Formats: sequence, C-alpha cells, structure tokens
Amino acid sequence: MDQSEIDALLKAAGAQPAGAKPRKAEAAGEGQVISELDAVTAVTERETNKVMDQLDLISQLVGKQQQLITEVMQQPGAQDKAVQEAIREIMASGKEIQDKVFEAMDLMQFQDITRQKLERIVFHLRQIHDYIVDLLGTGLKNETERASISRSIHLTGTTPDEQKAHADAVVEEFQKRQKKD
Amino acid sequence: MKILIVDDSSTMRRIIINTLSRIGYTDIVEAEHGKAGLEKLGQGGVEMIITDWNMPEMDGLEFVQNVRGQNPNIPILMVTTNAAKEDIVQALQAGVNNYVVKPFTPDTLKEKIESLLG
Repeated sequence: MDQSEIDALLKAAGAQPAGAKPRKAEAAGEGQVISELDAVTAVTERETNKVMDQLDLISQLVGKQQQLITEVMQQPGAQDKAVQEAIREIMASGKEIQDKVFEAMDLMQFQDITRQKLERIVFHLRQIHDYIVDLLGTGLKNETERASISRSIHLTGTTPDEQKAHADAVVEEFQKRQKKD
Repeated sequence: MKILIVDDSSTMRRIIINTLSRIGYTDIVEAEHGKAGLEKLGQGGVEMIITDWNMPEMDGLEFVQNVRGQNPNIPILMVTTNAAKEDIVQALQAGVNNYVVKPFTPDTLKEKIESLLG
C-alpha cells in the first residue's frame, strides 16, 4: 500500500493530526465507518485491476511468444523431427500458461463478492447505529420496545443466503406450531 | 453481435469482457449502473444484455423492468451474487431470460449465452 492509499484511508477514517483535539463522539459515527469501508473497497478494486493488468500483459507476451515460435517452426533449419517435437512442447506449455492466466483472471471475481459482503456489513452497521440512536435518543426503553427494535433489525437486513435458508426453516416451524394451536 | 455489460464493478466487467472475447464476442459496450445502461441501450445496436443486480443509481431489477418496457425481446442474462430462490424468481418475473450466480466459471457463462442466443 502506497502513501496515497494510506492517506485516503486516513482521510476516510477522519484521522486527526497529532495534538489535535479529539472529535466529538457524534462525528465519529456511522458515516466514518461507511467511508472507511468505501475506501477499502476502492483500494482493493484498484489493486485487483492492477493484478489484472499484469495478467493481461503476461497473456499478451505468451501470445507474442507463440507467434514467434510458429514462425520459427516454418524455418528450413527447424524441420528436424526432434526440433519440431521440442517446439510443439514449447507451444503446449505456452497454451498451459495462457489457460492459467485466464483462470487467475476469473478468480479475481472474489473482489466484487468481497465488496458486496462489505456492503452487507455496512447495511447492518447502519441498523445497529439507528438502534443505538433510538435507544439513547428516547431514553432507556422498556423490555417490550427493546425486543421490538431488536426484531426489526433482525428482519430488515440483507441476510446472507445461509441464514435465509435458516430463516425459512424457522418460519415453517412457526407456521406449523400456529396451525396446531 | 453487440453485447451490453452493466455492472458497477470494473473488475467484474473486465472478467466478463475477457470471457466473452475468449468465446468470440468482442463488440462490447459497458455501463456502471442501470441508468447508464439505458443510455447505452438508447444509442442502438445492442443485441444482448448481461447485467448485475446490486448497483447504485439504478439496480439491475429496475434496469431490466425499464428495458422490458421498451424492448420485450432482447436477451437478458443476470449475473449476480443474489442466490436466494425468491431473488431468482423475482428477476425472472422482471424479465430476465437467464440467471448466473457469482462466482461463475467461463464455461457456465458461455453455456448461458449460447442458450440465450439459440
């Protein structure tokens, strides 16, 4: 990570220079965390694209090498059976490198998937933030109100799929119980 | 064949473009959200759409609904991390022709594209 990235992260995190007065608690709230996560996402996307650039370059170089080898194969001096066989092996290994480069590019999908997971975390952080503001803003709530807020946090989130399946099972069980009652 | 790719992740657009070029599709236009996708579509010539779901400005579902309002026949493939059954059904009801969950393999994408194009 270079200095500009560190600066971007620090800026997003709202870091203060040494000796500065500490920020008020309200300024260090939800927006700061979200900006920080956004900065992390932006940095990882940029770095992933740099890796993709390098992979593209390798792919182009292998392509160029393959082209040169094809030309060499046609030269009169390269018509010996053993030489032709060696060249074919080089071509095959070049193809293998090319395939691995493409595979590595496909694996870069992890960046987008991670980004979306981070966005899901931000969503939940927002809800926790709202919950706390609600609690502090109106004083300590009674147990029924707390339970109600807690339920709404649980129900409105962008729930991961594994939990969705779990939620379905819970709903099904709940409905079965209701029918029995 | 001109293909429109709508995804807010530049990495993902690049991966899809890469896969498409490997299977012979090189005429590609890109958009980073649904709104931009509609603009590109309005410029004409697009024969197939590959779109993400979760995007800023206009998400994939709204984008698909808008597209279907103008063009009921253009093949649309949704490529997304949303993997729940109800999401898939919702996308199909909005007008998506086929659905791929990320992460995908090039073979899966190829198969879906070829099945859409007949």
